[in-house]
Amino acid sequence: MLKKTKTARIIFHVDMNSFYASVECSINPDLRGKPLAIAGNVEERRGIVVTSSYEARAQGVHTTMTVWEAKQKCPGLIVMPPSFERYRTASRKMFNLLSEYTDLIEPISIDEGYMDVTERYSDHSPIEMAEEIQNRLMNELHLPCSIGIAPNKFLAKMASDMKKPLGITILRKRELPGKLWPLPIEEMHGVGKKTMEKFHKMNIYTIGDLASRDLQEVKLHLGKNGEKLWNRSKGIDDRPVDPEASNEFKSVGTSTTLPEDIVQIDEAANVLKELSQSLEQRLKRKKVVTTSVQLTIRYADRKTITRSQTFSNPIQQKEELFKISNNLFKEHWDERPVRLLGITATQVIDKSNATRQLDLFSYKEHTKDEQLFETLERINRRYGEQSIQKGIEKKGDVSHGNENETGRNEEVDREGINRQGRKR
Amino acid sequence: MKFIMNRDQLVDSVQDVMKAVSTRTTIPILTGIKIETHEDGVTLTGSDSDISIERFIPVEEDGYEHVEVEKSGSIVLQARFFSEIVKKLPGSKVEVEVFERFGTRIRSGSSEFNLNGLDPQEYPRLPEVQENDKFSIQADLLKTLIRQTVFAVSTSETRPILTGVNWHILEGELNCVATDSHRLASRVAAVESTTDELEHPNVVIPGKSLTELSKILDDSSALVDIVITESQVLFKAKNILFFSRLLDGNYPDTSKLIPSDSKTEMVISTKEFLQAIDRASLLAKEGRNNVVKLSTMENGQVEISSNSPEVGKVFEHVSTESFEGDELKISFSAKYMMDALKVMDCSEVLIRFTGAMRPFVLTPLDGNTIKQLILPVRTY
Repeated sequence: MLKKTKTARIIFHVDMNSFYASVECSINPDLRGKPLAIAGNVEERRGIVVTSSYEARAQGVHTTMTVWEAKQKCPGLIVMPPSFERYRTASRKMFNLLSEYTDLIEPISIDEGYMDVTERYSDHSPIEMAEEIQNRLMNELHLPCSIGIAPNKFLAKMASDMKKPLGITILRKRELPGKLWPLPIEEMHGVGKKTMEKFHKMNIYTIGDLASRDLQEVKLHLGKNGEKLWNRSKGIDDRPVDPEASNEFKSVGTSTTLPEDIVQIDEAANVLKELSQSLEQRLKRKKVVTTSVQLTIRYADRKTITRSQTFSNPIQQKEELFKISNNLFKEHWDERPVRLLGITATQVIDKSNATRQLDLFSYKEHTKDEQLFETLERINRRYGEQSIQKGIEKKGDVSHGNENETGRNEEVDREGINRQGRKR
Repeated sequence: MKFIMNRDQLVDSVQDVMKAVSTRTTIPILTGIKIETHEDGVTLTGSDSDISIERFIPVEEDGYEHVEVEKSGSIVLQARFFSEIVKKLPGSKVEVEVFERFGTRIRSGSSEFNLNGLDPQEYPRLPEVQENDKFSIQADLLKTLIRQTVFAVSTSETRPILTGVNWHILEGELNCVATDSHRLASRVAAVESTTDELEHPNVVIPGKSLTELSKILDDSSALVDIVITESQVLFKAKNILFFSRLLDGNYPDTSKLIPSDSKTEMVISTKEFLQAIDRASLLAKEGRNNVVKLSTMENGQVEISSNSPEVGKVFEHVSTESFEGDELKISFSAKYMMDALKVMDCSEVLIRFTGAMRPFVLTPLDGNTIKQLILPVRTY
């Protein structure tokens, strides 16, 4: 647990306004001030609007409309296909600018993020700083944003939604009854369609309704998620701004410097087997799977090469990790002495998001899991998503490990180098 | 060799045989088109050794004169140059004449090209096909059944046999099956054959061959004759011979893999369903696998949803025409579903599910000549 700071925190939520459309306008000034929509499929009638400029919204264009409908509402509408590369570049620039004010930035998506500015690199007051950030994003990058200022992430997020575009909204705890509680429950961050329906059944229609209820009652109907939302409705949210949150798990790897240079292929295979095992455990611990495996070979002269293989169905098991890394080694090793070997899972995905395309010739093998899945789904339907999942590892799950593995601990793994653990 | 042909006729014919010419061939002469003239007309040939196409241009057809043959003979010309040249020639007629050492002059209007030809003796002979057992299909039907199956062949060489379409002929019926092991497309059609006992249990035609064949066939009701031998298939249409190598090996028996029972059945408008999947896949494409989720709802609707954590979520509701059986949540590739729906050629499609981890089957509501099977996607 993080130690709670005594002083109240000051959190910004920076939310870019119609980001994709704004980026297009920043690149092509001729588009500024004109109704613009970004749509998945510009040509065809059935293309839908992904986002639109405020000029377009003023004429009734909104997201998920078909291009055809949008053009009916707004005949002068300019429709463009999305170009994600541009948006990623603009996003990088935006976060770079924010990082001039604090290190404590947590990107949530391509166009929004939290900043903890309790300790900031600026003498200005938070509101002056927010104004400066908003002006600089507008003048330097031509990108409009709304900023919410509050003592925690939840309230900052709610605040940034209150005035768009180009708003700056401060939401203090004492202002909750007037500013937050009258809002309909579905406007609360974290409440989707399903949760809204559950609240409606409980006669909860505004955030204030929720705050006035008894915690036990809410917990009974919505479980843990209900408790979380109940706390938030009262303005309680102690999640820290975590700069690592979005970077986590982009890649997971393990490597070992060898006590003696390897000159034979079967020696390498033994090392790769152990690395695969270690990597499997780390992937399991982080609850991720991977669709790409990269092999690192460092030769005795320190020249280092990396070679990778990508595949469509994600993997996690050591047998598969070994097979791929060993094949890569056989294919790319030039027979010079090897000093270090490493295996990295380079495209990891949360196991809960990962999917596996079933195969016509082998699906029957998987159907043995069918009952299990069906039971899990029934439970999830009854008690809400994520109530139960398959294969959540117990703490210290090293059941696949051999004696050699048990001595390994997190610190050694994190270092990525482990000489002692290797059996010769 | 010398002939004079209408330019448009020549352009069309060259385009047809170009479908077989590959720039990446290990046999240099096959980068050329072989041209042969004889009394009754001109024959063009292109080949990449897997596919060979022969196009015949008769001197006269339906009282219309296509070509004047002044001297019989043959030549091979570089396909890449020859096809580009004829396309751009200025006149309405083209004269081609071969001189010594394969020098070839092409004249049209104010333009004159002199090309270095290649020795036609070096051009490989086309496979000889005995025409004992042949059967026939209308050209437009043949094109349809190619379109309805060939998209499902595998593009990966890990199981080469799956890069082809399996043709199974028995008792006057042709059954075409293609699968990349993630989805399967099948189509049955009646064929006319000379013998009653025509039987070809295991013919596998490369998907690429069928795609090219489909491009050069007209949408007409004229019959295409088909002859199958040990290693070759020959399609004979009017003025066209299309040869393809067959794939070696046994095609897996897929008949037992198609479920016959079902737990959930729905009838849905093909067009509405296709459009909903198409929209839902807008966000799914940003994710890795283009996966959408179908959930049955209480009011006879289905919900198509997709969640791409970085981009956002989408929900689509589609009404079913009829719905029976268990409730269901199933995820699948939006691409496979769209590919299948696009070739159904029917306004309403019947979908039969047997569970979230088992293949499901799409058929037109009125008839079962087409069957599309898709394997779902499971969470890890």
